[in-house]
Amino acid sequence: MSSINFYLLEYAYNYIKRHKNKNIFIVLIFTLLVALLASLFFITASLQKELQERIAYTPDIVIQNYRAGMPAAITQKELDRVLEIDGISSGNLRVEGDYEFLKAKRRFHLLGVDPFEPSSDPFIAKLVDENEINATEMLVSKEVLQTMQKAYYSDFFNFVLEDGKLLKLSIKKSFDPKRRYDLHNLILLDKDTLRKIFSYKADEGSDIALYVANKNELDFLASKIRLMLPNAKVISKNDLKLKYKSLFNYDDGVFLSLFVITIFTFFIIIYDKANGLSSQEKREIGILKAIGWRVEDVLQAKFYEAALIALFSFVLGYLVAFVYVFYLKAPLLGKIFADESVLDIANFRLDITMDLSYTLLIFLLSVPLYIAATLIPSWRVATMDADEVMR
Amino acid sequence: MIELKDVSKSYDAKTKALESLNLHLREGEIVVLKGVSGSGKSTILSLIAGLSKPTSGEIIVDGKKISKLPDHFAAAYRRDNIGIVFQKYNLIPTLSVYENVLLPLFPLNLAKEEMDKKAHSVLKKFSIEHKSDMLVKNLSGGEQQRVAIARANINHPKIILADEPTANLDEKLSLEFIDILRELKEKQRTIIVATHDPLFFDLDFIDRVITVAHGKVI
Repeated sequence: MSSINFYLLEYAYNYIKRHKNKNIFIVLIFTLLVALLASLFFITASLQKELQERIAYTPDIVIQNYRAGMPAAITQKELDRVLEIDGISSGNLRVEGDYEFLKAKRRFHLLGVDPFEPSSDPFIAKLVDENEINATEMLVSKEVLQTMQKAYYSDFFNFVLEDGKLLKLSIKKSFDPKRRYDLHNLILLDKDTLRKIFSYKADEGSDIALYVANKNELDFLASKIRLMLPNAKVISKNDLKLKYKSLFNYDDGVFLSLFVITIFTFFIIIYDKANGLSSQEKREIGILKAIGWRVEDVLQAKFYEAALIALFSFVLGYLVAFVYVFYLKAPLLGKIFADESVLDIANFRLDITMDLSYTLLIFLLSVPLYIAATLIPSWRVATMDADEVMR
Repeated sequence: MIELKDVSKSYDAKTKALESLNLHLREGEIVVLKGVSGSGKSTILSLIAGLSKPTSGEIIVDGKKISKLPDHFAAAYRRDNIGIVFQKYNLIPTLSVYENVLLPLFPLNLAKEEMDKKAHSVLKKFSIEHKSDMLVKNLSGGEQQRVAIARANINHPKIILADEPTANLDEKLSLEFIDILRELKEKQRTIIVATHDPLFFDLDFIDRVITVAHGKVI
């Protein structure tokens, strides 16, 4: 097989055409499986990249309070205690959380802001810097504004308080988060106003954001806080990084199950193919041998046939996955991943992210296996006496 | 030129197709092997073509022991020396006449011009050139027979083996085939025809009619 024999290549191509129905079916299944596998890899790689980017805007350490295993408010007192730990450079009590807008079946993310506590997220910090938000106003993303407008709230919105009363806030301005999909459902409002909505007392917040000077001490400081506040959940930036990294690894539930199903299906096809040829296919090999083809000639033609099918299906499957994930934004499959995640990644961008090692893995799992599965039964038949095969 | 020495062939423990058969054919000779179905005629052709190996004995063609040839050399020997016309033609029905005729040459990777020249030459010789682009499955039995003969002659083999060549042809087409045999005989080809068709037994250009029964020459 040192050089390409175009007659054998053409013969192989014609063979595929002659067994059109069978080969269309194989190409279809092969493409589908490659597309599914490639989609899995594309989604996980892209989500991982996106999540890693989001980490950049998070505080170094976040402390959430728990009472009886349920998230609870945290107070200024706890903040003051942790600020006494050497190595913590600054911190603030944050007020934020989700608000369910039942009428539109949408969830807004409310973030309380204070002009004297600059946000670690530069986009939010800039918004707060440029817009003074008083107690009766709020800034909303353009997506939130659209949702409100559909519900006939064009310049204000009524939040329902714990006691059933309404709190009317006017929409000061809307902003465009552009490609920051994580901010598409964001509402910025005065911190004390938000305390009213969430029924927090004046010294309470949803969590504590801490910043440390020496990032190498992050884990050490986090464990120190855990000892100080045993009821609190302490999440360091390093924890998040690790969590995001392992979120869609091979041992992750959804990834693993989809991966196993795909590989299993593929192996069934390979097994079926490797297990024999039809009598018509055997006879054709017998004829070829009878008219002077050597075993290697038969195998070369079969190699071309399998390679054409496998490479075509691989490239097609890869393209389908590319379009499905990066242009269509992975309907269904993307949602499965986002919902399965313990993190809020309901809004994801799915930027084009390619990993050559994944491409190589899919290639090795599909193309050489298919070629081998085609060659093995053909070799078995080709090494028999032509007379016996044609009989 | 072709010599079968004490050749036996068994397909399994119970079935003996040939038993201690001896046969000698000279170059340019045309021989008819006569016998009923199952007498061993086709097995003789298969062994001479190197399509199968004898259980015992030797087959020598042009001084070479064909019976001992490994598969790789047996295929090359067939391609270079043997043209086979099978009873059921053994063409690939979904390929064109042109492709079927050239099929034995595909592994040689010859230049396109040379391939075309060879194909047109045999297709013309066996009066099938006008059907060159048609799929074989759309041809009549007689036309398929011509394609099979053209394919068997594409490499100008020294030996032509025909296994029941007229079994699927009417009398007119059978006579046409006999004319083709006559032409090939004039070109000094060694031809062995295995048949039980009486048409072949009294032909003036046939050198010998050999009767085969129960795997032996009578």
